[in-house]
Amino acid sequence: MSTLHFLRWLLHTHLSVEMRNSHWDFAIVEMAHLLGLAGLGGAILIVDLRLLGVVLRRRPVARLAKDLWPILIGSLAVMLASGTLLATAFPLKYYYSPAFRLKMLILALAVLFYFTLHLRIVRSDPQPLSAWPKIAAVVSLVLWLGVGVAGRAIGFY
Amino acid sequence: MSFLHQFCLFLYDSYVGTTIRESTNLFPVIETVHVLGITLLVGTVAVMDLRLLGIVLKDEKFSDIAGSILPLVWIGFAIMFVSGFLLFWSEAAKSYGNVAFRIKLVLLLLAGLNPLIFHSTIYRKVDSWDDAPVAPVPARISAVCSLALWAAIIVAGRAIAYGH
Repeated sequence: MSTLHFLRWLLHTHLSVEMRNSHWDFAIVEMAHLLGLAGLGGAILIVDLRLLGVVLRRRPVARLAKDLWPILIGSLAVMLASGTLLATAFPLKYYYSPAFRLKMLILALAVLFYFTLHLRIVRSDPQPLSAWPKIAAVVSLVLWLGVGVAGRAIGFY
Repeated sequence: MSFLHQFCLFLYDSYVGTTIRESTNLFPVIETVHVLGITLLVGTVAVMDLRLLGIVLKDEKFSDIAGSILPLVWIGFAIMFVSGFLLFWSEAAKSYGNVAFRIKLVLLLLAGLNPLIFHSTIYRKVDSWDDAPVAPVPARISAVCSLALWAAIIVAGRAIAYGH
């Protein structure tokens, strides 16, 4: 089954019709998506700003990241689940939306980078003077910011 | 017509309000800043609240975390206030009667009162509980109120676009 076949099938499922036609379903799921953003963005910001030496300088990076891990993973799960539901409402519209495609691309890059190279650097408890942790923090911030900007753009373009 | 209503109409019809409203990109750009500012304001506040509740960063002094993270909260607040006011400026005539908008303003007022009460009461004795993994009950109540209020502000904020 091709992607388009799947999306056409999805469009006619009960869930998709309900999400599209209900007055509040989409809005409520959007609200959950934004609450997830607060948690995910907060956890990412604090760890990356720590890598850059801006906040909580006395606390080892690895321990800080370990402490914030549940917020990060919990919020990411909320965002993925709510985001999937939102996409289910208008599968074909999003399939052809440049902003949606861009968001999925940057999201894939951000997740891939964050849970491989970035995680390895964080767990190695880098010393403040080395450059790689700072580069990793900036790359992470730029990628996640890109996901957010492209995500907001879906509603407009 | 009330003074507030007249003021909203004045803002709506002003040069700045009209420019933002009629531009193709200004409103989306400001709104993107406003939405992503949530991470800097609410994300950081939430981490402090969760520390008070003893859920994260338990072995760190609360005053150390607050001292380090509060500047971020203020930067986030400044970004949210400016971008939010610009959005309101362009929609003031509609915002005035919008129920979600009115609820959001009341919630913002309460969310602002909460830290004022926190700082003038339980935080004065922070030396006695700074090291404790879980803060005393009044501080935990403040943390729960903060989390609930900010979550409700996000929900009400999103509802503005669906309101009448």
